[in-house]
Amino acid sequence: MAGTSKVLDVAGVSKRFGDVEVLSDVSFQVDKGETVCVLGPSGSGKSTLLRCINWLEQPDAGQIYVSGSQVGVNRAGLVMNDRELSAVRTRIGMVFQHFALWPHLTVLQNLMEAPIQVQRRPKGEVRDEALALLTKVGLMDKQNVFPSRLSGGQKQRVGIARALAMRPDLLLFDEPTSALDPELVTEVLAVMRDLAREGRTMVIVTHEMGFAREAATRVLFLDRGRVVETGPPNVFFAHPETERARQFLQRYAGETSAGRRSA
Amino acid sequence: MIRDFGIVWSERDLLLSGLANTTILSVLSAGAALLLGFMLTPALMSKRRPLAWAARGFVDGMRCVPFLLFAYIVYYGFPSLGVRLDNWTSGLLALTIYNAAYMAEILRGAWAAQPPEPIEAGVAFGFSRFRLFRRIILPSLLLAAGPVIGNQMIQIIKDSAFLTIIALPELTHAASSIQSRHYVPFAAFITAVFLYWGLCLVVEAGVSWIGRLAEARR
Amino acid sequence: MSAGDFIAILQGAVVTVTLSLVGILIGLPIGLGLALLRWGNVPVLARIVAVYVSMLRATPLVTLLLLLFFALPNIGIEIDPISAAILALVMNTAAFNCEVWRAALMNFPKDQFEAAQSVGMRAAQRFRRIVLPQIVRVSLPGLVNEMSLLIKVTPVLAVVGVVDITRAAVRIGAETYEPLPPFLVAVALYAPIVFFLVSLQRWIERRQAAAEAAA
Repeated sequence: MAGTSKVLDVAGVSKRFGDVEVLSDVSFQVDKGETVCVLGPSGSGKSTLLRCINWLEQPDAGQIYVSGSQVGVNRAGLVMNDRELSAVRTRIGMVFQHFALWPHLTVLQNLMEAPIQVQRRPKGEVRDEALALLTKVGLMDKQNVFPSRLSGGQKQRVGIARALAMRPDLLLFDEPTSALDPELVTEVLAVMRDLAREGRTMVIVTHEMGFAREAATRVLFLDRGRVVETGPPNVFFAHPETERARQFLQRYAGETSAGRRSA
Repeated sequence: MIRDFGIVWSERDLLLSGLANTTILSVLSAGAALLLGFMLTPALMSKRRPLAWAARGFVDGMRCVPFLLFAYIVYYGFPSLGVRLDNWTSGLLALTIYNAAYMAEILRGAWAAQPPEPIEAGVAFGFSRFRLFRRIILPSLLLAAGPVIGNQMIQIIKDSAFLTIIALPELTHAASSIQSRHYVPFAAFITAVFLYWGLCLVVEAGVSWIGRLAEARR
Repeated sequence: MSAGDFIAILQGAVVTVTLSLVGILIGLPIGLGLALLRWGNVPVLARIVAVYVSMLRATPLVTLLLLLFFALPNIGIEIDPISAAILALVMNTAAFNCEVWRAALMNFPKDQFEAAQSVGMRAAQRFRRIVLPQIVRVSLPGLVNEMSLLIKVTPVLAVVGVVDITRAAVRIGAETYEPLPPFLVAVALYAPIVFFLVSLQRWIERRQAAAEAAA
């Protein structure tokens, strides 16, 4: 069986929407403790790739393995049902571009909801862990506040804590700072940088080049649904191999130095 | 006039039983209509055209039919199908079926206004169908639709008065009976009006409470 | 059901439509008047209107109708079924219309008002030329909705002997021992009228939404 030692093994994944091929034969693997940043121009299929990993989108071809278990297809070779998918998804944490916090629950309740309801863990243990996570992201004092009262940066930090509360093997970030005002981006990137340093296994779709340069162990460059280039960030940013990567970096080089400060 | 109210007071048992009937009828049919509405809404939004059309036809149809006529049709119609129903059952049935259409439309509107991201997060975190609905979708839906459902509840209370036509012993029927026997029309009906008003104030208080819960989370 | 029966039902339909129209036409301006009293915070009257509207919105039409029809003669005012019916319809619909007008008035942008004041328009002029046209536009869907609701409650007028569709249907049913067909005919006559109003409301809402999107 492929990829038993890897946290994430993506093999030959393809996906089309209508007659547009959004992903073409994408393959890559992620080891434990790696931080992989997925970069690329808009429409390159980065988000779709991420959403295929936990089967929010169903790939048309290919296999995906998380910690050795296949996602989306069960042992009998049939498409997984609701319950089986649910079991796999609990091992994959996801952080959304638009935060996606549950509005009817407080911050603390947001963190505790899935561990209690889906993982059936005891309430006391879940609560202690949730409070520890809130302290870690610096939002302990907001535990009884409803999400609508938080700033974007605060919401995303809660989103990260919520994903961590599930004790996932793998963390997926779908453009976590794209919906934030520039001055709020820093606080979220700081949390993500800490997580990378701690050795969390993460796959991050982002436009934050500065962050990718500093925190990633590996960069995956996607263009029009294909993995065009991959490698350590210092290599990718300094000496891109392909022309597409060069064009892409040129466009963003201006941004990193002029516009956004990559703290 | 005081004497008239004295007479109404002496008949308070009849009035209270009428009030009880109105309340029970309204609560039961509202609950049943909401449940039926929950089953109807997926049909309304279904991708299968015949199902969606049938549901839409039912909902629009109920919206165009006066409730009184519908109650008559249920009351007289079922016996011709061979089913004997007493006035209580046919009244309850008519109220329930009629308002199920309205509830379905209300729920559909509330559902369409839901942001999809928190629900998708629920799926990503492993919530499977039933639990997703109960813990993530339903609370948000009810908070959003609460006031409108409350208004529909008031409508149900008022529609129940129509059932006096089929001799159902609800509040208006009780007041009518008192006035026809004792010739105290003003006292009898004004008392009924105040009792209806009281019922609606209770519903409105409930709606306010849900409104406050929703506002805290908005 | 014979042709004669059918004609009887049609005649009832004419009564229904006429009474509905009268109720709507009288109820609209009265509703506006009530809304203005509340919005203008006229002392005493505003409170009375608030209580009146709250009670009327909670009262079933059939109860109100019976109250008027039986209680008014008791205090010396003779009233026939038709007048009682119109009075009940107007009292009812005016209360609901009041709330629709009031919502439009409360949501009226204050700065427009102030702009009119600052160019020296006096109260009546301000109202007629600035406020009224706009609140009519905003209230339209709600008012049309109320019209369709009014038509749907007219069957109850049969209770006091008004020979409308319902009464005709009931009479025919009693005579022919087949209660169902005349009611189905009655529904077949009501439904298109209500459907027309509901479609009108949806059309108005769509047009207003499009105008807003274009703006």
